[in-house]
Amino acid sequence: MTRRIPPGLIWVAPALFVLAALSIYPLLYLIKVSLTDSHGITLANYARLFQDRLFSVAAGQTLLYAAFALAFEFFLGLGLALLIDSLVHGRALIRVGLLAPMLLPPVVAAVIWRLIYNPEFGVLNGMLRQLGINTANLTWTSGRSSAMLSVILVDVWEWTPFLFLLLTAGLQAIPAEPLEAARVDGAGYWQTLRDVILPLLKPVILLALLLRSMDLLRIFDQIFLLTQGGPGSATETVSLYIYRTAFRFSNFGYAAAMSFVGLVITMLAARGLMRLMRV
Amino acid sequence: MRFLLLCLAALLASCSHPGSEKVLTIAVNAGVEGSALKAAAHEWGELRTTRIEVVELPYANLFEKESLDLQSRSGAYDVIMMDDPWFPKLVADGGLTPLAHEPDADFLASTLAVCSNAGKYYALPYVGNSQLFFYRKDLFDKYNLGAPDRWEKILNDAKTIGAGEKMFGYVMRAAPGNSAVTDFMPLLWAFGGDIFDAQGRPNLASPEAIEALRFMVELGKYSPPGYAGFNAAEVSAQLLQGTAVMSINWPAWIAAMDDPSKSKVTGKIEFAPMPAARLPGVAELGAWLLAIPAGSAHRDAASDFIAWATEPAQMTQAAVRGNPPTRRSVFQSPDLVKKFRAFPAQLAALEAARPRPRTTQWNEIENAFGVSLSQANSGAATPEAAMQQANREIAAILARSK
Repeated sequence: MTRRIPPGLIWVAPALFVLAALSIYPLLYLIKVSLTDSHGITLANYARLFQDRLFSVAAGQTLLYAAFALAFEFFLGLGLALLIDSLVHGRALIRVGLLAPMLLPPVVAAVIWRLIYNPEFGVLNGMLRQLGINTANLTWTSGRSSAMLSVILVDVWEWTPFLFLLLTAGLQAIPAEPLEAARVDGAGYWQTLRDVILPLLKPVILLALLLRSMDLLRIFDQIFLLTQGGPGSATETVSLYIYRTAFRFSNFGYAAAMSFVGLVITMLAARGLMRLMRV
Repeated sequence: MRFLLLCLAALLASCSHPGSEKVLTIAVNAGVEGSALKAAAHEWGELRTTRIEVVELPYANLFEKESLDLQSRSGAYDVIMMDDPWFPKLVADGGLTPLAHEPDADFLASTLAVCSNAGKYYALPYVGNSQLFFYRKDLFDKYNLGAPDRWEKILNDAKTIGAGEKMFGYVMRAAPGNSAVTDFMPLLWAFGGDIFDAQGRPNLASPEAIEALRFMVELGKYSPPGYAGFNAAEVSAQLLQGTAVMSINWPAWIAAMDDPSKSKVTGKIEFAPMPAARLPGVAELGAWLLAIPAGSAHRDAASDFIAWATEPAQMTQAAVRGNPPTRRSVFQSPDLVKKFRAFPAQLAALEAARPRPRTTQWNEIENAFGVSLSQANSGAATPEAAMQQANREIAAILARSK
């Protein structure tokens, strides 16, 4: 008796093939490289992760960067979305204006901010000096305590519009009936927001936070261009360290091990976020 | 109809088959060093009727592209331009082709020394970069201060001129990595320290090395705020804008200092060899080399190009385009000395210049060392702690590579 191939399998085969070629094979190859060094198969690259001071610094700072940037971007994006959704006129124009930073290539945004942050010749310190503020110690991306805040601010500037866009779309999809029912029942604005709007917006909020947190955990371009991880290692992130390890130090095995651990952490963070939102 | 077919055939015949034409692909650094080589390559291409493709890459990406090409023997490049500290790593993997002929004696010995491995030459020096000390001669004269020849004197002069002129007495770069290490090496050597001891062990926790870093941090008090994040461009901008008195810099910036369209201090900057401290001053070598990847399909043409580009006549052309030469005869050419007033100082600095340690792990060592230096300069670590940390991390890098 010959076993027949289920007809459904034939239809999904192209998709499975693409998935295997683009995701599964590279992942398996990454794991293989991470388990290899000049002596053969080894776990040395993973063991080194626990002793590497620069990796733990980079991992801690990546989480800090992601947490603060995500919080700022979410609350600002939500606030702007609610504010602009409540406007009667000019919504379309304001929306387009707000999206402008997100439309810039990250390299361009980083170069613009590098010029803005220049302590001597930058427009930011120039304006502060006009206001009579002493800017002698305001070194922004070069200060050990201000560097991280400076790069987070650039991220917030560039990516708040993304959250704003998603949340606006979510707000517009909320049906009018529950809002009217809340009004009829005498609910105020804050009560409506807490008990009606936010629960209905929850799937969109989750999607927005998921997409943004995954992007934040692999942050590279802005920091590479603004600070190169400095001063010292004040803004070093895991992606920067992986890049240096692979392409500057030619240590692909260790870079692959860090990448795999980074992938697992991102997946766990995404799973945690989904559980938190109880979806 | 026949006419149309003939036209089509002529059109197809005029489109040469890409595989049949010889194309020499050259990887160069995006910047003045690469621009001169790019211009030379196109001239050579016309001369030899060979098509030239120049791949211009920023410094940060050039090494990774070349390293990947050499490791995979992909033959993507026929000639590569490399910074001299990359040579040990690139040659160690067997990715470079040995030169067919020994270089002649006109090349400066310091620049040739970084082109060989196990007695064989694998590259020729093309750009003779070594650090110089840039200072405002007009202000030193105004305050009756002699030439800046010792680091202790420089610290005092930075205080005096800085306070008198309401400007920064000194400007340095201490961004992590190459920048911080490059500005620190002349100090380290002048104070009697070095990265490795005679047995090749890391030696940065030595009293001399800690004292050198302490001095760097002290000098940083007279530098613009935020110098712990500066690279070469920021240092040069301070000099060009007339907001800083002196700095260590590379010869590539000399032309800009005297260019009225870029500089507010034309004719006011003087160039001197590295200052001394306990030991005589030594500049760091930063030569750019030309080499042929082993995977190149056009090694003969590449060899011909490198020999042609480093001839005295071509190197004179490159010097006119802004590249410091690597040949003594070019440095001493009366016409060029008349045109480039810093040439005598450049030659003196280059002859005495010291290369960075010749190790395959240099990029990783420089990164770890640079992070520690940048931390000390930003106030995140004391000089003692920073040097001990750098020493530990360099020891770990060396241990891993065994």
